[in-house]
Amino acid sequence: MNIKIRTLAKGITLIYGCVLTSVVMANTSALPPAGQICVTCHGVEGEGIEPLGPRLAGLSKEYITTQLQHFQAGVRQNATMMPMAMTLQGDGIDQVASYFSAKSPKTEVKPVIRGEQVTFSDDTARLAYQGDWSRGLPACVTCHGPSGLGGGLFPRLAGQQASYIKTQLLAWQAGTRKGDVDGMMANVANKLTAAEVDALANYFANLK
Amino acid sequence: MKSSAILLLAAMGVLTTQVQAAQELPDKQAPLPSVPKNPDQTYLTPRPLSAIPEGAFGDKVRMGYQLFVNTQQLRDKYVGNELNCANCHMDAGRKANASPVWGAYFAYPAYRKKDDKVNTFQERIQGCFNYSMNGKAPAAGSPELVALSAYAYWLGMSGLMDAANLDGPVPELSDAELVKGAKREDFPLPDTLAKAMTVEQRANLPGRGYPEIPKPELAFSPERGKAVYTAHCQACHGADGQGQAMAGVYSLPPLWGPMSYNWGAGMHRVNTAAFFIYENMPFAKSIQLTNQQAWDVAAYINSHERPQDPRNKGDVKQAQEKYHNDNDYYGVEVDGKVLGTGSYPVFPKKS
Repeated sequence: MNIKIRTLAKGITLIYGCVLTSVVMANTSALPPAGQICVTCHGVEGEGIEPLGPRLAGLSKEYITTQLQHFQAGVRQNATMMPMAMTLQGDGIDQVASYFSAKSPKTEVKPVIRGEQVTFSDDTARLAYQGDWSRGLPACVTCHGPSGLGGGLFPRLAGQQASYIKTQLLAWQAGTRKGDVDGMMANVANKLTAAEVDALANYFANLK
Repeated sequence: MKSSAILLLAAMGVLTTQVQAAQELPDKQAPLPSVPKNPDQTYLTPRPLSAIPEGAFGDKVRMGYQLFVNTQQLRDKYVGNELNCANCHMDAGRKANASPVWGAYFAYPAYRKKDDKVNTFQERIQGCFNYSMNGKAPAAGSPELVALSAYAYWLGMSGLMDAANLDGPVPELSDAELVKGAKREDFPLPDTLAKAMTVEQRANLPGRGYPEIPKPELAFSPERGKAVYTAHCQACHGADGQGQAMAGVYSLPPLWGPMSYNWGAGMHRVNTAAFFIYENMPFAKSIQLTNQQAWDVAAYINSHERPQDPRNKGDVKQAQEKYHNDNDYYGVEVDGKVLGTGSYPVFPKKS
């Protein structure tokens, strides 16, 4: 079994070229068979392939697990991901969630703690760090963590693809993405204007 | 506080002399009286932080904001848990009905009949450090207390000035004036404002504190509260109530256990927690809990062990009789254990 996995890993390495060789070698945990289906769109390292699939590296095991369950249950609707998630039977979800959550994000983002900055010339940064409570909008970083680094049930936003963040905010608004406790995220997304959705997606995608 | 006598001019013009022994804690976290919420009410709106002026006074206001949202920068110096002021005072102390600091600023100094004492605004904040932050309060007049007072004052005064169409910067006050609070006849105010409202009216600004909710139909129950907690709270605060850290910051705060508020904090009272929760939770209010749910879940959260009441001199029963009433679980047996007997240390050091 181990040999098979190693062979598989080598094969994938060849396919993805020599750039990835060092990365794969550095990661001791091998891609589980159940995860083969994921890498075409999400990359072997969970680095994401825009516009096919978002980055998974940097997301917690808890979050990946929950989202795959949501796709299976149809709580989160996506024509591609719903059938993909259905292929994960038995401990398939646990395997792929363990594998991808162990991957490190490609871009390192230095956390900026709330309060480091008092005023913001950029409205989007202010929304992310202080919210707009006159509209009942909390700061994004309250739940997604400093610089949107995420943790637990709250996904990392820092360095995620802008197109993906935007699609998700729109999905929350449209109701095609659900599964948040008490509709907490839908409640926030529904208060954002179209311009704010664009701006926030770009803001978090480009955090350094 | 040292042992020096502090002279305070009480609201009625009576000169009160207060000598505070250094070993006595300066304040119990006495709540400002809660009033029910009026749905048609409009609230004071502080100016945006970008309007804080340049210069030494503005720097104090900015420092106050920074301490308020990142109180962890005082960890081990004055703070002994993982909380930040902004956890309970939403929108960095600006949100009405979430104990806004602008509301509190105009409600102190407050006379307390129980021990015939007048508490200044800074003494009230010292209480927050000793109890809510499970730490050790900064000394009276310290830069931290001046900054937090300046922040509260600037928010409140800027809101009052805007409401009265008064342009111009918020008048600068000396540190000594700032830390006293504004509920006094000799508080320096622009004439227009002094004439517009009485001291008592300013001390009761709508939105102050957490709005009172009616008593529950059924006596509050931790057992029922547990189900509420599991359904509505644990996604953020954890099944074990220990909150969640990201990049080392607990913006999703622990609600009980060693890293939360201690048995002397205002929030340990079931009524205070119920008022807070009903009005402010779940975060950003995607749903409204029922009155009963708010009381029950407050009882569940507050029937767990937490850091010791710092006023306990070695006997839980004695401390219970002296400082606790029927709205809290200190000294009460829950699941075969008397709460308070297994409490966590006061002001433990992180490093």
